[in-house]
Amino acid sequence: MNDMSIMERAVSQTDIKISARDVQVWYGEKHAIKDVNIDILDKTVTAFIGPSGCGKSTFLRCINRMNDTIDICRVQGLIALDGEDIYDRRVDPVQLRAKVGMVFQKPNPFPKSIYDNVAYGPRIHGLVRNKAETDEIVEKSLRGAALWNEVKDRLQEPGTGLSGGQQQRLCIARAVATQPEVLLMDEPCSALDPIATSQVEDLIDKLRANFSVVIVTHSMQQAARVSQKTAFFHLGNLVEHGDTDDIFTNPQDPRTESYISGKIG
Amino acid sequence: MTDLSASGAARKSSLVTLDDRTRRRNAAERRFRAYGVAAIATAALALAILLVTIVGNGVGAFRQTFVTIPVTLDAQQLDPAGNRDRGEMSGVLTLAYGGLLNQSLRQSIEGAGIEVEGLTDRDIDDLISKDAPAQIRNRVLANPDLVGQTVEVAVLTNGRVDGYYKGRVSLASAANDGNTSPQQLALADALKERGLLATKWNWAFLTNPDASDQRPEAAGVGIAILGSLYMMLVVLFLAVPIGVAASIYLEEFAPKNRLTDVIEVNIANLAAVPSIVFGILGLAAFINFAGLPQSAPIVGGLVLVLMTLPTIIISTRAALKAVPPSIRDAALGVGASRMQTVFHHVLPLALPGILTGTIIGLAQALGETAPLLLIGMVAFVRNFPAAPPEGLFDPASALPVQVYNWTQRADPAFFERASGAIIVLLVLLLCMNLLAIYLRRRFERRW
Repeated sequence: MNDMSIMERAVSQTDIKISARDVQVWYGEKHAIKDVNIDILDKTVTAFIGPSGCGKSTFLRCINRMNDTIDICRVQGLIALDGEDIYDRRVDPVQLRAKVGMVFQKPNPFPKSIYDNVAYGPRIHGLVRNKAETDEIVEKSLRGAALWNEVKDRLQEPGTGLSGGQQQRLCIARAVATQPEVLLMDEPCSALDPIATSQVEDLIDKLRANFSVVIVTHSMQQAARVSQKTAFFHLGNLVEHGDTDDIFTNPQDPRTESYISGKIG
Repeated sequence: MTDLSASGAARKSSLVTLDDRTRRRNAAERRFRAYGVAAIATAALALAILLVTIVGNGVGAFRQTFVTIPVTLDAQQLDPAGNRDRGEMSGVLTLAYGGLLNQSLRQSIEGAGIEVEGLTDRDIDDLISKDAPAQIRNRVLANPDLVGQTVEVAVLTNGRVDGYYKGRVSLASAANDGNTSPQQLALADALKERGLLATKWNWAFLTNPDASDQRPEAAGVGIAILGSLYMMLVVLFLAVPIGVAASIYLEEFAPKNRLTDVIEVNIANLAAVPSIVFGILGLAAFINFAGLPQSAPIVGGLVLVLMTLPTIIISTRAALKAVPPSIRDAALGVGASRMQTVFHHVLPLALPGILTGTIIGLAQALGETAPLLLIGMVAFVRNFPAAPPEGLFDPASALPVQVYNWTQRADPAFFERASGAIIVLLVLLLCMNLLAIYLRRRFERRW
């Protein structure tokens, strides 16, 4: 019995959470993403690396349909979450985004209190029924984002008054509070100093226990530190993807090799 | 390479001495600053001149000359039936009251022992405003028990005597004036000496309706203030919700296509349409087509709504645009719907801007004259409109139209009234602007 559950755990850890097939994205006339095929695993950190403008952020924003808000953006192909096509006409993007949380490049807490920042998502999704439940989820999320000890005495103060690194962790707490299954992070450390960066990286490593995390990063060291899988994008193409260790030590494609050795990008 | 280093060596200079280029650049900067200061000074001077002129001319409207005399309200004349019934007493015209007033004034003059050479009966009778009998009559009809008593009343003097104490009329000009005479002014001086005549604060300017050409002393802005207020109500309850809803839809929900582009361009163009055009539109659409009454605040309000909408829409859209997109991303990212994003996050941040734009739109509407002329708001209105909403359909005037109206009249006393009305209008506008500033401070960065 015990062995079975360990077996199931092993299987689920290697489960495919998101699969993308022949994904194409156009911004107006610009073909931003070309034929991307990738499987993203559950309870794993996947890093998207590549030079600026290679489409890694664009692809990330396809996964929770944030690109819907851009009028000129068109997406073709199949992206499935747990086997369900997220671009199906019956799918409500609002419901999707409750399952697929997002953390942005620039920390963007709401101009409200720290408490309200975290409580907002659970409230609008009806995850909490009363104050006690809200308190609980706020504390749990802030602890999960390694921020609780720093802010527990000033939950009613504005979230915008925190330092950059704290703000970004607040944004992570906010994303975690809606209890998503996937967490998308678009260069979450680019606006942070090295200390805050290492705090956020530690956090990402912990989050892996519960979520499938996809992180876009410009820093190859960061990709190497936090991710188990890495995908390299170049000019809208997914050039290569696989285990992070393999990509960095033994790249198959010459473009990957030049990028990680600093020759392009 | 050698050339470059050679020229570099040649240009070597001390940091302490300014080279020509720097000197010219600094001079240009100083000149530009001087131009700026000059521009500000000119604007401030113009404003000061405007305020001094208007206040100087208009403050007189808030003070009026009254003569205080005891009047015996003779029961036989005012209530022939003797039963103090308002209905029957209203059959007695102002003529009877006028007679009583004149009689009382003559008695007071005799009692005070005033003798003025060449004073005629007409000089005495005309000293009192033509509006005074009506005011006494209204007072008696409001309180019939006064009949039979002798009451002390402060009655308005005519506009010329009032002007004499405000420096508008002199003994020399009175000699050539059919409406007054040097003897009348001498009488007024004598009354003043004995404390019977005084220039006092005049609340009636704010509460009285307009008055005819012969009685500038009785004219007030009461109906104009009410009319303006009613129109502001219409604008507030129609233009603000429609304008804000339209901007939210256009800015946050509408697809960006050719149709919305055309709408956008047209709204911008509407903001630049001369206001009198909206007046013609209002005349055609609301009065001739929809059959709404002329001179009514509802029509004026609707015209002002049309005129204010573009202003409100443009400023509201600007306020919405100024909200950083990262806030929208954040809300959408945690799974808020578009409407939740707008109402929970974007709108609260845009609120100060929206409020400011709205109040500026209202202030613009409050000061608008031209379109109101075309829909009959310039009419001479003596009866106060009822309370809203019925009152919106009663004839009324509006402050700027009242100003325009009074400046058209011949008697210079009306010019003073016009300036007084401008002061009232400016005070209202100032209050609205202060409110805008207050709201801005109150809602800005509140979290």
